[in-house]
Amino acid sequence: MRESTKMLLHYIAGVLIVVTGLIHLLANNDPGIGKLITGNVYLYLTNMAIFLAALLYHALNGVRVILIELVPDMCWTKLIGWAILLIGIATYIVGIQVLLMALGLV
Amino acid sequence: MGEREYLEYYALNRRGVSGWFRMRGYTIERKLYALHRITGILIVLFMLPHFYSTGWHPGIWWDALLGIIVTFHVANGVRLTLLELLGAGIGKPLLVKKPFQRPVSIEGRQRYLLALTVLLFIVLAVIWSYYAVIVKPLMGG
Amino acid sequence: MMEQSSIDLWKPVKVVKLKIYRYNPKKDFSPKWKEYEIEVSRGTTILDALIRIKEEVDPSLSFRYSCGQALCGSCAMMVNGRQMLVCRTRVLEAAHNRDFVELRPLDNFPVIRDLAGDFTSFFEKHRAIKPWIIRRDFEELDNPTGEYKQTIEEYARYYQFTDCLKCGACYSACPTVATDHEYLGPQALAQAYRYMVDSRDDGLDERIAILDSDHGCWRCHFAASCSDVCPKYVDPAQGIQLLKKLIVRRKFGLKPHRPSDALPSKIGEVKRR
Ligand code: SF4
Ligand code: SF4
Repeated sequence: MRESTKMLLHYIAGVLIVVTGLIHLLANNDPGIGKLITGNVYLYLTNMAIFLAALLYHALNGVRVILIELVPDMCWTKLIGWAILLIGIATYIVGIQVLLMALGLV
Repeated sequence: MGEREYLEYYALNRRGVSGWFRMRGYTIERKLYALHRITGILIVLFMLPHFYSTGWHPGIWWDALLGIIVTFHVANGVRLTLLELLGAGIGKPLLVKKPFQRPVSIEGRQRYLLALTVLLFIVLAVIWSYYAVIVKPLMGG
Repeated sequence: MMEQSSIDLWKPVKVVKLKIYRYNPKKDFSPKWKEYEIEVSRGTTILDALIRIKEEVDPSLSFRYSCGQALCGSCAMMVNGRQMLVCRTRVLEAAHNRDFVELRPLDNFPVIRDLAGDFTSFFEKHRAIKPWIIRRDFEELDNPTGEYKQTIEEYARYYQFTDCLKCGACYSACPTVATDHEYLGPQALAQAYRYMVDSRDDGLDERIAILDSDHGCWRCHFAASCSDVCPKYVDPAQGIQLLKKLIVRRKFGLKPHRPSDALPSKIGEVKRR
């Protein structure tokens, strides 16, 4: 994947976090609108799935950027990229599982 | 440090990580860059326990501080997206340079965008603090 | 009258202390600071003062300079912790509100000796982005039939970046370069943009392959220090952001820039090559 694709996704994930994160915050903190969102399990679940994906991508890509600026040698750059990708996928799977269990869907 | 590393350190003359956070003498964009990086790292650090024991929060006043961190990252992130990805507000290259011309990307419309960013940050931080300090305790959370 | 004022300009007005970084990596264990006191007049630049110290006080002092009029870009240094061309900074200006002037070699460049840095990797990076016009019409190049003409709008797209001196001030100020020695740096990226938007150039995709890499243009986070310190007002930060925009536009198959209007009628009927 070219660097521009990764960074484009980084910015898109950032915008998604602002939208879905707002819904996530309202669901947990606002007595009025929160009921509407938490009341609909599928809305809540979809929102959380997108939010978690975007957040993990944005955060881990940010960590990757900082790390490869810190250790710029080519082999480290590759290694950091793959390690971060694996961590991200594993966290996402576990996160979705925890979410499904908390909502009583599994 | 051994003697070899010591010599290498001075001969290479690299700033290292301290160069990221070196702000004195440069424009405000550099400060925002450093703060963006620091807040990003802090948010990742908050995320770890928040994921680990689902929905962990540090407590009312820390939540307000978290709000300041997150809203700064959001407001500055909006600005960076506009500038870096869409090239909005960055201005056009000049054909005629005045003597002691200040760079367009620092002095031009980008500074209005910066003022808007600070405004957005303050508004978002106030809303977040209102929810964290007043609404949430009332809900009994 | 005229003579009187020019004599005034060279009358010593103040004694200023210059704190200079002395280091020879082949000999010294660690850098030392040496202080020199020198009488300056209103017009004395820091370069003048350095030359005077080398002539009169300490011949072992080393620094690099050439033209002495902000045209060659050899004499960039850290003056009070900020990248400047010493040939166009007056001592009194730098000593304003303080009792000494501190001179160091540029950050992020290996020290050769005292105030001179090693620019090898900086120039290698500049070379890596192919800073020349790439053409595909070999037939025309071998048997030229005329000039490559441009409108003023096409010229305005890149003129600002052609002023670059390769002085290294921007490269030294950039926070990313402070840790990332593979990063191409503001100077190379701004020059890449300068050639990519040139209407005579065909090397867009060739250069994107180089710039759009792990340590290419996306490691810039708009700290804008490069534009802040650039002595020729090249504004590399602007070039890099426009470069990112150009690469993203190219990604979606959009035209890199709007084709400009017809050439001005003054030139007459002109074949676009
Ligand atoms: S862009 Fe400016 S600061 Fe950078 S090398 Fe060129 S003239 Fe020097
Ligand atoms: S704008 Fe980019 S290239 Fe220029 S100093 Fe900042 S990070 Fe470095």
